[in-house]
Amino acid sequence: MDTQWPRYEVFKQDRPGEPHESIGTVHAVDAEMALQNGRDLFARRPKCHSLWVARADAITSKTAEQLAAKELATDNSWQADIDPQAPTETYLVFQKQTERRGMTFTTHVGEVEASSPVHALQQAIAIFPAEQVFVWWVCPASAVTRSEEADTLPMFAPAQDKLYRLPNQYRTVFTMQKIKRGKDVIE
Amino acid sequence: MNAHHQSALAQKLLFLADDELILAHRNSEWTGHGPILEEDIAFTNIALDEMGHAATWHRLRQELTGEEVDTAVFFRDPAAYRNVQLVELPNSDWAFSMLRQYLFDVYELVHLAQLAASSYRPLAEAAAKIRIEEIYHLRHTAAWVTRLGLGTAESNQRMQAALDTHWPYAHQLFVEMPEDAVLAEMGTAVSPTSLLDEWQQITTAHLTQANLIIPTNHTPPTTDRADHTDHLTSLLAEMQSVARQYPTAVW
Repeated sequence: MDTQWPRYEVFKQDRPGEPHESIGTVHAVDAEMALQNGRDLFARRPKCHSLWVARADAITSKTAEQLAAKELATDNSWQADIDPQAPTETYLVFQKQTERRGMTFTTHVGEVEASSPVHALQQAIAIFPAEQVFVWWVCPASAVTRSEEADTLPMFAPAQDKLYRLPNQYRTVFTMQKIKRGKDVIE
Repeated sequence: MNAHHQSALAQKLLFLADDELILAHRNSEWTGHGPILEEDIAFTNIALDEMGHAATWHRLRQELTGEEVDTAVFFRDPAAYRNVQLVELPNSDWAFSMLRQYLFDVYELVHLAQLAASSYRPLAEAAAKIRIEEIYHLRHTAAWVTRLGLGTAESNQRMQAALDTHWPYAHQLFVEMPEDAVLAEMGTAVSPTSLLDEWQQITTAHLTQANLIIPTNHTPPTTDRADHTDHLTSLLAEMQSVARQYPTAVW
């Protein structure tokens, strides 16, 4: 039996007005726990204004290679998924536009109205063209839980003052260099 | 501030610091043993926050007494510690630690809201700042109380057992020490006794909603912060061992 808790993707916004970016995943039994775990894992250091979490299985992910192999507009198996009569809902669209940044994966670029994930992908590709997209994610807005404006102070503000949490505050590197030089570090 | 008032305030800061420090140390013992990795990090983070709060209270005390924080923490014997017994009880299961932290978080929030109105400005400012962090701690522990209280029969039983143990001990937090009476009169800090009603209302509502039964025993095993269990001695022996072995070490 798989006893692993469900996986949630965590999206972090550094400052108001900037896009939310996927920063990693957490295990959690519900969205509230995912939000809290997201905070504790990814927002303990400065620069966080807002967090979103979404169950990983609510996200449809397609790589550029997968999209190239299936022409969204013409592939019958994908067309079959789209019912023009079906009610639509809002989907969030994310793109991975660069391979250079190690800390983030995809970036939120906007919303589309769609009746299914495949429909949302088609809409997204039409509405949010970009020079290069390595990966597309779409996720129903209803599956996303967001921290609230009132959460910013208790959840994220305390970290701003805690500079000792930053990597450059740890003196282990310096201490190890001293040890390697044969210096006694206990003074 | 006259000498009598100042010494009462220094002692009150020691109550605050010792409660936070000893609880932080107990919680830090979970590091590497949490139920899942994410929670291991989250609870360690809370322990670290509480340790930071202890340092804040100690620094305020140092301004009054001149005693260095590290000296007060690492070179003070158990008999001179002034924490309540609630925080020194050794960990058992996850429910035990989570419920203890929840009861303490509610106490802290209620207490800090009052301390933020202190006429002693450094105390008021520190309380206002710490309170912001405690809002998040309570959100975290309150969610776990609900989750385990309403979880399985076993998780409910474990929470109930933890509550039965902690409830009387928690009431020591609200016992007025002689220093509290001095400070209340001067408007420096409210008497902890005045916080009891609000604490009971908040905890009773939340625990009841989590399908837990409020114990009838409200009598703490001791009313004197100078009284400790033997558990504090072993806790401090470990916590102070490195500093005492290498008293001049820096890191």
